[in-house]
Amino acid sequence: MRIRTIALLLILFGTLAVFSPADAQNAPEASERGKEVYEDSCAHCHGVEGRGDGSAAENLLPRPRDFTRGLYKIRSTEAGQLPTDQDLFDIITEGMPGSSMPEWETALSTDDRWQLVAYIKTFYPGFKENETPPKQITLAGKISYAEQSVEIGKELYVELGCVECHGNVGRGDGTSAPTLEDSWGFQTWPANLTQGWTFRGGYDTEDIFKRFIGGIAGSPMPAFEGDSFLNFGLTAEESKRLIELENRDEMTEAEEEESGKFYEKMDAAVDIALTIQEGGEVSAADIQTYNDAMKIVYEKSWHLANYVKSLMPEKRPEPAIGNNVLRSQYVQGALPAIDDAVWETFEARYFPLVGQVVIEPRQFNPTIDGVHVKSFYNDTEVAFLFIWDDRTHTTDETDENTGKTLEDALAVQFPVKVPQGPTAPKPYFLWGGRLPVYLWHWKASMPEQVTELTAKGINNAEVQEVQGELEVQSDYTDGQYKLWVKRALKTEDKKDLQLEPSVFVPIAFSAWDGSNGDVDTKRTMTSWYTFVLEPVPSSRRFVYPPLIAILSVGLLFGLRAFVQRRNSEEV
Amino acid sequence: MKTYLLASLTLLLACCYVGIVGITFADHHEAGEMEMLVFPEKYKPMAVSNGGTISGVVKFEGDKPEMKVLEITKDPKVCGVTEKYDESLVVGEDNALKNTIVYLIDISQGKDFDKEAKLEIDQKECKFTPHVQIVPVGQRLTMLNNDRVNHNVHIFSKINRPVNKQQTKNQKKLRIAAVKKAEGPVAVECDIHGWMSAWIAYVPHPYFAVTNEKGEFTLEEVPAGTYKLGYWHEACGTNNETPVEVTVEAGGTVTQDFTLKLK
Repeated sequence: MRIRTIALLLILFGTLAVFSPADAQNAPEASERGKEVYEDSCAHCHGVEGRGDGSAAENLLPRPRDFTRGLYKIRSTEAGQLPTDQDLFDIITEGMPGSSMPEWETALSTDDRWQLVAYIKTFYPGFKENETPPKQITLAGKISYAEQSVEIGKELYVELGCVECHGNVGRGDGTSAPTLEDSWGFQTWPANLTQGWTFRGGYDTEDIFKRFIGGIAGSPMPAFEGDSFLNFGLTAEESKRLIELENRDEMTEAEEEESGKFYEKMDAAVDIALTIQEGGEVSAADIQTYNDAMKIVYEKSWHLANYVKSLMPEKRPEPAIGNNVLRSQYVQGALPAIDDAVWETFEARYFPLVGQVVIEPRQFNPTIDGVHVKSFYNDTEVAFLFIWDDRTHTTDETDENTGKTLEDALAVQFPVKVPQGPTAPKPYFLWGGRLPVYLWHWKASMPEQVTELTAKGINNAEVQEVQGELEVQSDYTDGQYKLWVKRALKTEDKKDLQLEPSVFVPIAFSAWDGSNGDVDTKRTMTSWYTFVLEPVPSSRRFVYPPLIAILSVGLLFGLRAFVQRRNSEEV
Repeated sequence: MKTYLLASLTLLLACCYVGIVGITFADHHEAGEMEMLVFPEKYKPMAVSNGGTISGVVKFEGDKPEMKVLEITKDPKVCGVTEKYDESLVVGEDNALKNTIVYLIDISQGKDFDKEAKLEIDQKECKFTPHVQIVPVGQRLTMLNNDRVNHNVHIFSKINRPVNKQQTKNQKKLRIAAVKKAEGPVAVECDIHGWMSAWIAYVPHPYFAVTNEKGEFTLEEVPAGTYKLGYWHEACGTNNETPVEVTVEAGGTVTQDFTLKLK
């Protein structure tokens, strides 16, 4: 990450040297070269005329940007403003995580990327018509991350209505999430705030802050502007007091008067904000009032950004490979149940999921990021806890196009026979082939049941005759599934995988998000990873070392006694 | 012969192209693009004395359609108190068609706006009222929130700056900045309650009316002269291609009725 930042800075300085700009508006004049690069690299998705309707567009969600309306999501500029040239250059260079837009830093030269910026701007006449450069968001008043700031942000998260789309704990599972559309009428999902690495425009606190102040144009995410911000013109304390008054069923006469004064103050401030936005004339005193009020909006936005930041890990978890494989921990006695606090003490392994794009129908727009897994075993049984985020709890929905029933699901895949040695072939990762796989298939409509399958291919799965060997518990809360599965290490069924400590077992996952149209082969999945029952720490370690120590000490004493005796005999 | 072939081939290609573009963008926001109001290039307000009146009734052709009940997917305690209907086609008694904009297409001078008129859209039980609101250029619209739930006001302008503002349950009143250019009608939606829908027409002159539940409209104080009379309806489209000519005499009243069918 740091190397990338340095590289970016170097490129940035390189470009600054070439174009010697006065500000962020440093794209060259549009040229033939820009058109050439665009039609070569961009038009497949964004369309020859920049309308976001290239040949690949239909399969993509989020859809490729339509450049003809001047609506850009990721900007360093204030609400309603166009992006700077630098903003466009950065997006082309870095790409947009969580979407199909790749980074172009490796494929296109710096010059070509600047030519693209110039060419893309020709699709929307507003770039030419606007004589003044877009107003950039100032980051000067940044409030550093602190517990107190996070607490204030948490309150704002509810007051401002963020929960409606982003959900109680930010997993993008708000009750409005399933019906959201962008400005072109296409479905769009609210960000899962606990997975910063999926944010299109980065997840530094500054990035999050810029999305608040500037809004995400073309999406349902509103901008925090003076004329509409909750209780604009009031101090944080006044705002709190007013909300407290308003939330009462009835106000006394004195309280009515008190709130009336607040409304007058807010009206005056909003009036100034509107006049400024409309381009009307305002006095120096008005500007002061406006700036004071905006300062509070900015402060609240920093607090909220700090809160959002608190919801996510610092960076995307490392996938479970290398020394990081899934290790089931040995415990004596009963294995913990789904809600046992013991699970919390144990760090999960993370398996990132990707869309299945090998066999039709494919999933190009996955919504499930990955699955976290923990495991414990004892002398006879093993228990797994699978955790994954899904914005909607879908148990029975009908696909409009295919008529198929859609529901959320998870499958855990093992080989039927563990390959002997690291070079021995594993079954084909897509539900086996010549070598069969053993599967646990869980569906949200039957939350307390897992079906055991044997498969020799993605469309060639058989339900095993012997069922009911697995104990299952599951839960869906605030946009997150938890699935708990327990099985005996050894079973009678020859079609099952048999488990023993210290043996490295391949493991893989498939997940279905029903509300995203996932069904059958259309799913997210992983390739093979590794799982092992961590060997039982041997009790002999408590016997031999002390024994050797005692023996050594005894020997030394014996030697000493022997030497002493011999010496005394000599005298 | 060759020229003829080439010409027909070009035409065919053009048709295909239009077809493809039409299909690709046949979503509800874009649908409005094809059916816009027509505004005069310039409009000069002046004192109107002894103006005439244009009035009439707009009716729906065909059987009275049944109103579609909307699915309330959220906040049922507030939004679902009474049943909500899709208001894109409201046909009343005697096939009266509500929410049709009737207006003068080519008027270049006439009365000024009534600056005192209240410009409001109410959000009550998660429904916008009125469904169609005329907003003069240069004047502010006020959004009211009479619900104890959060809303957001999303106005999908394309010529003017689009608006997307949160209006929380504690914000009873939200004023929207005046726009500079005539546009519309543009869609108004609430992203939080996906079924909420309304239309705003930003207009440069005051000769616009929206039909009531009896399908009635009235344009008053029209300076004497001959004008093109246009209409717009969400589901029935416009008569932009074939506007009706009406002649208004000083102090007189002209009646012009319309019968619209689904587009």
